[in-house]
Amino acid sequence: MTSVLVVEDESHLAEGLRFNLEAEGYQVDVIGDGDTALEMLLTDREKFSAVVLDVMLPGIDGFEVATRLRHEGQFVPILMLTARGRPEDVLNGFEAGADDYLSKPFELAILVARLNGLIRRSRWPQRNSIINKDIETVNESSGVAGSLPTSGVQEYSRDVFVFDGKTIDFGSLELFAGDRIIRLTLMETELLRYLIARSGLVVSRKSILEEVWNLRVDTDTRAIDNFIVRLRRYIEDDPAKPRLLLTVRGVGYRFVPNP
Amino acid sequence: MRVSGRGKSIAFFIVFGSCLVALAIALNIGWIVLNVREVALLVLGVTFFLAIIAGLVLNTTFLVREIRRNEQHDAFINSVTHELKTPIASIRLYLETLQSRNVDDKKRREFYDIMLADSDRLLHTIEQVLRAGQLGTRRTREHKANVDLSKIVAECVELTRTRYNLEEGVFQVNDQCGKSEDALVFGDSEELRAAIINLMDNAVKYSASEKRVDVSIKRQDEKNIALQVRDYGIGIPGDQLKRIFKRFYRAPGKLVGRVKGTGLGLFIVRSIVKKHNGRVFAESGGEGHGSTFTMLLPRVEKS
Repeated sequence: MTSVLVVEDESHLAEGLRFNLEAEGYQVDVIGDGDTALEMLLTDREKFSAVVLDVMLPGIDGFEVATRLRHEGQFVPILMLTARGRPEDVLNGFEAGADDYLSKPFELAILVARLNGLIRRSRWPQRNSIINKDIETVNESSGVAGSLPTSGVQEYSRDVFVFDGKTIDFGSLELFAGDRIIRLTLMETELLRYLIARSGLVVSRKSILEEVWNLRVDTDTRAIDNFIVRLRRYIEDDPAKPRLLLTVRGVGYRFVPNP
Repeated sequence: MRVSGRGKSIAFFIVFGSCLVALAIALNIGWIVLNVREVALLVLGVTFFLAIIAGLVLNTTFLVREIRRNEQHDAFINSVTHELKTPIASIRLYLETLQSRNVDDKKRREFYDIMLADSDRLLHTIEQVLRAGQLGTRRTREHKANVDLSKIVAECVELTRTRYNLEEGVFQVNDQCGKSEDALVFGDSEELRAAIINLMDNAVKYSASEKRVDVSIKRQDEKNIALQVRDYGIGIPGDQLKRIFKRFYRAPGKLVGRVKGTGLGLFIVRSIVKKHNGRVFAESGGEGHGSTFTMLLPRVEKS
């Protein structure tokens, strides 16, 4: 049975979530504070398939829980819930390592759909493990986009992109750079996908926020710059002197796959 | 991130202010050394410099205070957002559940109770905010009459008990005024009730898992009636005893952080008591030793 952890200190909300998720066929555990949740998720790393995480918790807050989990290499999918829904808050959540974000009050159907989506998505890498090995070998021979060998085990079209000696697998959220394998969060992957789809073109910060994060922003915000800094750390050989992910002053960014 | 940013700006202004003050003092000393022979010029200069120094000190103080207030305001907006949205989220969740799933009768009744409790909580928050807003302005209509404090206290105890689902023994009421005429106060019963409920609410909220609240009413002296609410909860550090009555102020610390609140409750209590020409203060044996809130209100003889 699929297990889900609900981290929420408001007992009414927690019990409501428990009732509904159990009705959806999940096994549900409820925890009321961040420290206990962190401990639980770090001791038994495989137990939960997803976490519904509230931000305002007693003790350490939800952002901190997500940050620490990711820091410890725990990549369980996180759906964050919070009362504040300003763009900065949403971005804070994603930056901390959340995979999805809902602000209160939320619609039950949407919460369930997003949670199902996260769990479905997190299962792909397991089915994918054989194919991943293929990618690594391709990567070593520094392949070019689209030149992956088709092997017999392929059951569905692989969603990968090769650039500058690195390979990103959009299905498993992994980036293969040299001998490093980097696990990306869903949002980092989405941002990279967006930039790759517009290779060579200048993309504004506003359009990134609107189309990747679905946020409506009136003012120019630099909040995504942190994401760019992180992506550079993953894909650039020298993050201080970017070659692939360039800043266009006063506008936004430009991705150059093969400089 | 934002907090440390503010901390930095406060530190900057304090350093900047102190540097300016030091500079002014140095100039002042220079002036004294240079003009020590000409008395008139010396006196004029020294006064002038003192004025500048005082101005600088005042300016820095106000700036720092303003930054702090801003910070509190931010925290207030945060907690009110939370206090308003959480019950709505909960009510909505249960309504959607009832709408979209088959819920048996027992569960259904349970859900109704939860939604009622949430709407009460919502109402309570809204009332607190509105009351605090009203008390902030001068304009208030008076509904004053002779009010029996004993009766109000008994009502408030009952209300708090139902709100938190507490057992009979949690509140120990010691009413030394006996006959109701002894505890007559001239005031607005609605407001007094709100103030007393806030005190009892706090006593329950800031108690540890084992809840016990002692309430006593007695004649303090010829003129005053004293209402005391004592809890055995997390207590208040000595330096916070006065500040907690300020608007939006919430004592820092891990234990307080576990309790949700808007920072308005005690401000409302103090404002109401002041309006009734009374006084309210807090005492505590320190952290972990509980706290006692005492409300002194002027007594009226029955006519």
